[in-house]
Amino acid sequence: MSVSTTSVPEARWLAGCLALVLALVAGCGPSEVVVKGEFPAPTMEKLPLTIGVWYAPEFVNHEFFDEATSRAESSWLVKSGQAQVQMWDVLLAGMFTRVVPLAERPGPGQGKASVDAVLIPEVVELQYALPTQTNVKVYEIWIRYRLQLVTSGGDPIADWNMSAYGKTPTALLQTDQSAVNLAAVMALRDAGANFATSFSRVPEVQAWLQQVHGNTKEAEL
Amino acid sequence: MMHTAFRALLGGAIASLVSGCVTATVDQMVYNKPENGIGDATVVILGRRHASDYDTEPDFVDCVGDHLAGGDDNIRVIGELEFVNQFYPWFEPRTAPLQIADLERLLQKQPVVAERLAAMNTQYMIWLDGSTVRGDSSGSLTCAVGPGGGGCFGFGTWSSDAKYEATIWDFTENAEVGRISTTATGQSYMPAVVIPIPIIAPVQGTACDGIGEQLLQFLSSNG
Repeated sequence: MSVSTTSVPEARWLAGCLALVLALVAGCGPSEVVVKGEFPAPTMEKLPLTIGVWYAPEFVNHEFFDEATSRAESSWLVKSGQAQVQMWDVLLAGMFTRVVPLAERPGPGQGKASVDAVLIPEVVELQYALPTQTNVKVYEIWIRYRLQLVTSGGDPIADWNMSAYGKTPTALLQTDQSAVNLAAVMALRDAGANFATSFSRVPEVQAWLQQVHGNTKEAEL
Repeated sequence: MMHTAFRALLGGAIASLVSGCVTATVDQMVYNKPENGIGDATVVILGRRHASDYDTEPDFVDCVGDHLAGGDDNIRVIGELEFVNQFYPWFEPRTAPLQIADLERLLQKQPVVAERLAAMNTQYMIWLDGSTVRGDSSGSLTCAVGPGGGGCFGFGTWSSDAKYEATIWDFTENAEVGRISTTATGQSYMPAVVIPIPIIAPVQGTACDGIGEQLLQFLSSNG
């Protein structure tokens, strides 16, 4: 049986080294943010339409990875898919009389859902900026969407791009992760606000609305 | 007796030391003051967030709201987040009305928004625009950590500037009825001998008190 003894200064050194190693190991992984937030239902006159919505698997599981380019920076993984679906579900339910979630992308071979049209949102691009990168004391997130409105048979009605932006100022005792989450939530709210106020003004959508209902109701605000 | 006087002097000296100096000015231009107060009506205070390089801090908006509610029990202030969520998406940075005419247009186009606003009995909407920024800093502070412990040594100082403007909209008059602006400047210090001792100038708090007091005088029947 062997007994090893460690003096108090030695134990301190070991503890210090262990803490340093742990800190270094922890610093190797990317900073991960799973976007979480509450999204309010819109307060607006509902459009008298039954809208189908289809979320592609890439949308539902959307995540953004940015690899660090130097040792001073850290890699970032922002998972926004769950929050995207949450926001769009609440938004569409408040904008249209009825919303039908679809399990499959509408197409000629698919079952015909009894909907006026199907909306397919897609995240084309997501960018972020931290105060350490910009020297501006705000955390920022940009999202660019491609939105497609198609018939239940998959024929295109409208196809347009929409941008969203969210920022949050630096605050005492706020971690980079919580600030990026807040900026992402603000960007999602902005996406909802942009969509709600501009949907009826997209020229192809406007023409389709007039064709379907003779509906000239426009959100001119 | 001497002991008590010494303690009081020491206490006063410490109190004046632990917070830095702040200089503040307040300008106001208001009219159509509600002489009998606002009665059962409510007030909402919102921060402007449409500028690219700054946001009006939510805690500043809360501070002014607390100042109003704390100064007169009859004033009911609706929380910013509660209001913005209730009226989503019309008060987001992208969509918030910049002029009262924009708000009138919104209420005409979206009756459901007008109904909800009427149900809340909101008479005044106060927009706060501005921010507190940290200015020049100087000095140096060094901290070190070793197996036997750690500590800091040095001295740092920095200035902070706050600039805010409150714009008051009156729904009964459908008009802007006042603007109150405030600026505050202060110097903070951080001496460190083993432990850093922050002596922070309450710049944002002073600006909040300045603007809150003027708003209280405008809205309160006690003022």
